[in-house]
Amino acid sequence: MTTTSRRVAAGAAPTQEATEPVARRPLSVRTGQRLLVGLLLVAVLLPLVPLLIWSVAGQWRYPDMLPQQLSLRGVGLLVDPRSDILQGLGTSAGIATAVAVLACLIGFPAGRAIGLYRFRGRRAVQFLLLSPVIVPGLAVTLGIQVFFVRYHLSDSILGVVPVQLMPTVPYAAIILGAAFANLDIDYERQARALGAGPVRVLLFVTVPLLRPAIAVAALLTFLISWSEYVLTLLIGGGQVKTLPLLLFAAIGSSDTTAAAALAVLVIAPPLLLVVAATRLLSGRSGNGVGFGRL
Amino acid sequence: MTQPELRTRPPPTGPAATTRGRRRPANHRRRGVPRGLWIALLLAPALLVVGVFFLTGITQAVAQSLGYQPFLPGWRLSLDAYQGMFTDPAVRASLLLTARIAIIPTVLSAVLGVSAALLIRRLGRSRNWVSGIFQANLAVPHLVGALCMLLLLSQGGLLSRVSHAAGFTDTPAAFPALTGDEFGWAIIAAYVWKETPFLTVIALAALGRGVDDLENAARSLGARPWQRLVHVTLPVITPAVAGGAVLVFAFTAGSYEVPYLLGRPFPATLPVVALQHYNATDLTARPEAMAVAVVITVLSGLMVAAYLFIAGRLARRSL
Amino acid sequence: MTGTAISLTGVRKMFGDTPAVRDLTTDITAGSFTALLGPSGCGKSTTLAMIGGLLDPDFGDVRFDGRSQLGVPAERRPAGLVFQKPLLFPHLNVEQNVAFGLRMRRLDRANTRDRVTSILDRVQLGAMAKRRVGELSGGQEQRVALARALVLEPQVLLLDEPFSQLDATLRAEMRCLVKDLHTESQVTTVFVTHDQAEAVEVADTIALMLDGRLEGQGDPEMFYTAPPSLVAARFFGVTNELPGTVRTGVFTAASTGLRRPATLPDGPAVLVIRPETITLTSPSGDDDTMDGVAVAARFAGTHLAVDVQLTGGPLVTAHAPVTTSVRLGAPMTVGLPRAGGVVVAADLRHAG
Repeated sequence: MTTTSRRVAAGAAPTQEATEPVARRPLSVRTGQRLLVGLLLVAVLLPLVPLLIWSVAGQWRYPDMLPQQLSLRGVGLLVDPRSDILQGLGTSAGIATAVAVLACLIGFPAGRAIGLYRFRGRRAVQFLLLSPVIVPGLAVTLGIQVFFVRYHLSDSILGVVPVQLMPTVPYAAIILGAAFANLDIDYERQARALGAGPVRVLLFVTVPLLRPAIAVAALLTFLISWSEYVLTLLIGGGQVKTLPLLLFAAIGSSDTTAAAALAVLVIAPPLLLVVAATRLLSGRSGNGVGFGRL
Repeated sequence: MTQPELRTRPPPTGPAATTRGRRRPANHRRRGVPRGLWIALLLAPALLVVGVFFLTGITQAVAQSLGYQPFLPGWRLSLDAYQGMFTDPAVRASLLLTARIAIIPTVLSAVLGVSAALLIRRLGRSRNWVSGIFQANLAVPHLVGALCMLLLLSQGGLLSRVSHAAGFTDTPAAFPALTGDEFGWAIIAAYVWKETPFLTVIALAALGRGVDDLENAARSLGARPWQRLVHVTLPVITPAVAGGAVLVFAFTAGSYEVPYLLGRPFPATLPVVALQHYNATDLTARPEAMAVAVVITVLSGLMVAAYLFIAGRLARRSL
Repeated sequence: MTGTAISLTGVRKMFGDTPAVRDLTTDITAGSFTALLGPSGCGKSTTLAMIGGLLDPDFGDVRFDGRSQLGVPAERRPAGLVFQKPLLFPHLNVEQNVAFGLRMRRLDRANTRDRVTSILDRVQLGAMAKRRVGELSGGQEQRVALARALVLEPQVLLLDEPFSQLDATLRAEMRCLVKDLHTESQVTTVFVTHDQAEAVEVADTIALMLDGRLEGQGDPEMFYTAPPSLVAARFFGVTNELPGTVRTGVFTAASTGLRRPATLPDGPAVLVIRPETITLTSPSGDDDTMDGVAVAARFAGTHLAVDVQLTGGPLVTAHAPVTTSVRLGAPMTVGLPRAGGVVVAADLRHAG
């Protein structure tokens, strides 16, 4: 059959063979997948169950599966002005916020340099910036602790905040570096051509374009600082009482209810932040915050 | 202002020239500041933080492990700390324990994390909230995770009570000791619980749009589902996941809170040992603390170097 | 190796509530080079994906040489696909990429190496066999993608706008390469494109798709001399339309009174005229003539495009030799050969 100059008039009714819609993946496979995902979710959520129950438990002796008595004593401890907890909450929040802000401020230009420019030694710089994260920081902290004591920076927030920059700045630089690498610099050029000076370009063009990455970097550095224990202990000398320090002590005590209640408090702000960030960011992307943009 | 417009020079030859038509690198001069200097200025704060803290810290740790004391007189260099460490039989037990609680969780969470990511990406509408739960886990501090494992896995914990209700055990002591044990089961569990979602999130990010297209290309070339997984999907996400695994390893090897709370005082992991020495009132224990810390750093660094080396060799495999 | 005949019958595909392909029925001859042409969103890429097996039709059948391919997944169809992006595997080098399909079939090393080397030489990338994917230019990547599909000796080769991301000169080279490869192998080739100049140059059959439907299918000449519909004519660059009516086999243009024989049923119709057909300078005796006023003249490189506002009628564009002198605003008579222009049914779906 040749097809020279054959015309099929538009709209002419073809001889149809309307067959059944083609089958999708078999039901058994889909059910199996759903089951596995369910198992995964249980595994992720299960360890939190005893924590939550203990936080409101009055008496809960072995072998009962549920507490004999519920009580709000744990919660009461949290808000008791005589305990250190409220103060610890403020200290933790303050330090974490300061660290997040500083880490992002420092990571921003570094990320710009790594992401936008090609220069000799770029690889080496990236490796160097990554080193506090790849290598356990214990030796580093032990090594510099004496200096903090010497320069009167130990036992105070003035020492804790800078030392917490060490694990956080690398993450900020990497995340922002990746964001800058994906940034189209023509936006900035366009803004300059329209008459904006460099500061305006930064504030009104660059930063808004990078908002998702900045949010992820800020969130991550906040979380790292919020959860930090060893650095705060060593440099703060036990005087800077953040929530992790208080929690550590509570776990060591025999008051499980208090420890559990405090643990719930420690989880709460980060969880809220992650939820808020996910909502904010998946409005644009589709898949939620990607922490793994490493 | 003498330069109202940006002037761009053509991209230099070299690495930039072979970046196949991606965006031109930024080469402009900023108001008379030479490019090199500008880059250095941009990098300065970050390099300062890392340089001052990190490099100083490491050199100080090494120096102090050799006996150096920065602000006290009367120190002398010696290898006593290291000698003491290597002749101490307890150190070997600590080393083994540390290796165990670093390697096992890294491997397990990598396998579980990738599997979870492969499952989750096939979900339809439920994908968002399922991956949301995984991301929420990231927000939980490790310290809290340790407490959770204590309440779950200890001999008086929830699992033990479930086992009692099911009739397997009738006293707390009959339930196997998972916390405060020699092997470190609860420590491993705590790390796996926290690090699997971390690697899942990384794997999910690596499994973005691009991988779907590559899998379609593989399909058109005759690759069946299992072949696609082994020859396309896994190789493509391996760099990102491996990078995450390196982070997990470094973290678990150097972590303190979790092994302290969930393990025994003896044998303890190396970081716990280091802090035990450091907090001893006797200052002569300082060098030993530093020595342990330096050993942790060196071993971890060697593992990372080994990983990079192997990864480089694998990348150059031929047909 | 000769190709397979492809036939689509009543194929329909919806994405949610949007129909992407509606009732598509067509036959593609074995060994032919068919261009699936149409604007963005017309369903051509979806159709290609259904032929290749990456998508399943909601209704309808896809047959290769009469054998239904429904339920046969892409990996088992004898069709090679080349996409807009080369989609080379980043963890493999060039020759490993090309060898991929052969590895999936578990062909032995010696055979694999031979076939890979020969196809790489054929696309002139023999020297790049060991290069990593990141070191290739865009054109080189697409050549590797082509080699990777062709080394499997597919019976059907499906190309989805494979050159749209390359610059113009490179695109021309690649078109020649694909055409040569087709001539050598006689594999049935379906080439999706939105560029009608490209389709005309490279294909022996063009299937025009608009809005999910097949608007017409035939050799390239047909679309110029006898377009099957008004929208098809418009897609191929016709701008001169004289609306009118058909009554008992005769078309009469509304404004100018031109008459043409027409095989259409009674009703509204349009006479479409290619600009090259209209003459400006003294038309010969038995041409139809139309009076009007010259309103614009544009230099277009090889010709002069002159817009003439017909008295009581629409604006028509004529192509004249570059040296013609045109006085704007002056009255003008344009000529149309007695057989010039094609009568097509009026397009009732899209007004205007």
